[in-house]
Amino acid sequence: MKNTFRQSMSWLHTWGSLWFAWILFAVFFTGTLGVFDDAISHWMRDPLAVTAASEGAPPPDRLQAAKVGQAFLEKNAPKAEFWSMGLPNEENTKLRVFWRDTPQAEFQDRELDPVTGEDAGPSKERKTEGGHHFVHMHFEFHAGDAGIWLVGVAAMVMLVALVSGIVVHKKIFVDFFTFRPGKGQRSWLDSHNALSVLTLPFQFMIVYTGVVAFASIYMPAAAMVRYNGDLDHFFADIQERPAPRQMQNVAAPVTPLPDLVTAAEERIGREARVISVSHPGDASASARIFMRGDEAEMASRLRGSNGSVQFDAVSGEILDTEMPGEIRGAGAFSTFQSMRALHFVTFGGYTIKWLYFICGMAGAAMLATGAILFMVKRRKKPAGEFGASTARVYRVVDALNVSGIAGLMLASIGYFWINRLVPVALPERETWEIGLFFALWFLTLVHASLRPTMRGWVEQLAATAFLCLALPLINMLTTGDNFAAALARGDGEAAGVELTAMASGLLCIVAARFVHRKSLQAPQAAKARAGKPGSAVEADVEAEAA
Amino acid sequence: MKSASIAPQRPRLAIFSRVSAAVFGGYLLTSACIVFLSYIIPIRTAEAVLTATLLSFALYTGAVIWVFAAPTAGRAWAGMLLPTVALGLASLGFYLATGSTA
Repeated sequence: MKNTFRQSMSWLHTWGSLWFAWILFAVFFTGTLGVFDDAISHWMRDPLAVTAASEGAPPPDRLQAAKVGQAFLEKNAPKAEFWSMGLPNEENTKLRVFWRDTPQAEFQDRELDPVTGEDAGPSKERKTEGGHHFVHMHFEFHAGDAGIWLVGVAAMVMLVALVSGIVVHKKIFVDFFTFRPGKGQRSWLDSHNALSVLTLPFQFMIVYTGVVAFASIYMPAAAMVRYNGDLDHFFADIQERPAPRQMQNVAAPVTPLPDLVTAAEERIGREARVISVSHPGDASASARIFMRGDEAEMASRLRGSNGSVQFDAVSGEILDTEMPGEIRGAGAFSTFQSMRALHFVTFGGYTIKWLYFICGMAGAAMLATGAILFMVKRRKKPAGEFGASTARVYRVVDALNVSGIAGLMLASIGYFWINRLVPVALPERETWEIGLFFALWFLTLVHASLRPTMRGWVEQLAATAFLCLALPLINMLTTGDNFAAALARGDGEAAGVELTAMASGLLCIVAARFVHRKSLQAPQAAKARAGKPGSAVEADVEAEAA
Repeated sequence: MKSASIAPQRPRLAIFSRVSAAVFGGYLLTSACIVFLSYIIPIRTAEAVLTATLLSFALYTGAVIWVFAAPTAGRAWAGMLLPTVALGLASLGFYLATGSTA
């Protein structure tokens, strides 16, 4: 390998990025939709039905909820290693209980009536994962630990691609001001460069803070060695909280949790939000009660607690109190918390969310233009990297490009339609919604492999445009609600979802028309090029991009 | 384009070896690095561990870049494994001298 550093980096940038471009596009695209997960969930739960259901309901009684929740867990999860309860509030009136039998086991959960403690069962509400679907897609593809590792590897590839990309594009500052439209491959390269350079700091930030958020899974070596494999001890130590207590294997009942809720609310002066109990039923049991944050206050800061109180869960004695806004830990922990906040956009409100939305979509576009550029270049002049099977590999790359980019967009807006079309009473309908999302995405891959590449692009983009533009229509037909009515009653979240979908639909029409015109021009362009081989533009492109 | 056309001339085994050196060798080196750093950064143990861990992904990225810039796959492996062993031995020394938790 007698290559210069830049040539090596160019090889790495092209081939490393290509095989992960579709995964990374999916991570960026769904993660960017996830910026507005609350608004999407709000729209998907059907605001009119939620309002109708909550009218006349009594205000949430947190003490009663804690009482029936504890009774449920003592009866149904007596051997659990960990309990948790999400107490009801005005927006979410159900009591949610969670438990797991061992630290490695998956969490089990139930939704309960907060007054009677009975399993809430099939509700009249439109049960949905809502916007969380997109959030989960972007960090684990709904595939648990395997998905988390896949996304972790893809994120590392992206960091490497960003660094190698900077090396490849040495004229980075000039590239930023360079855009030559209507020049085919050159224009794709220009747009890839402009998008990358413009949002480079954002891309570095979002990828780096993303892997850091999962550092205890991805990079546990230092904590494992220094804490003898006990990561919980490390977490407690870094947050300056009492060390986790060792199991004593001595049976001891959990003290009534409503008393702890009362004590915590008195101490902090805020509503309790979540109760967690470690080692319930053992003499070592401890409980921590987390308080509700004030939204305006949370939006104005990067770190700091919402307040929590830790108790001995047998005696009820207070072990630790963290006041709202209190900052624990020193520089490294503050850095870590700030990085998490930067990734999860917990600060700055809607202004910052929109900035993230635009930068995130630019990142997705950077990945899409890169993957398209790879094929545009090879359609013009096959490089024969795969010997006799080169044409077949190109065809696979083309099909993956269409379904990985246009197909994912189609399936994502399709998810909104699925939400409105799957019957409200269907058991486990939220699982059906996600299953149908993946089925639709798979269908786009089938379609992309059957259709000629350019037709595949046009048809999937056109279908996406239709689903985006007609979203208010299907909403009106199924729930009777629409963005105009939502605006009239001051529901900006629900209206925003539909207006954003329609604006995206218009962009998809532009994209579909663009590809359609290109596919008509292609034969003429090939003729024109044959007349002047090795033009200045091509030489430039070949020298710069690989 | 030049570099892309180099690909088929490279023996597949060399590419596979280099990718493995980057993914696995790089991960081992990064892990050894952050354990070592957690011993020598002179702040509270938990903070030193977290500081090293926050740096880890930058170190890993650097290691991968270096692997692909190295002249041969063999050199790339050596560049990952030799420092890993050295840092591992140093950390073992710290471990035996101070105990696992500070």
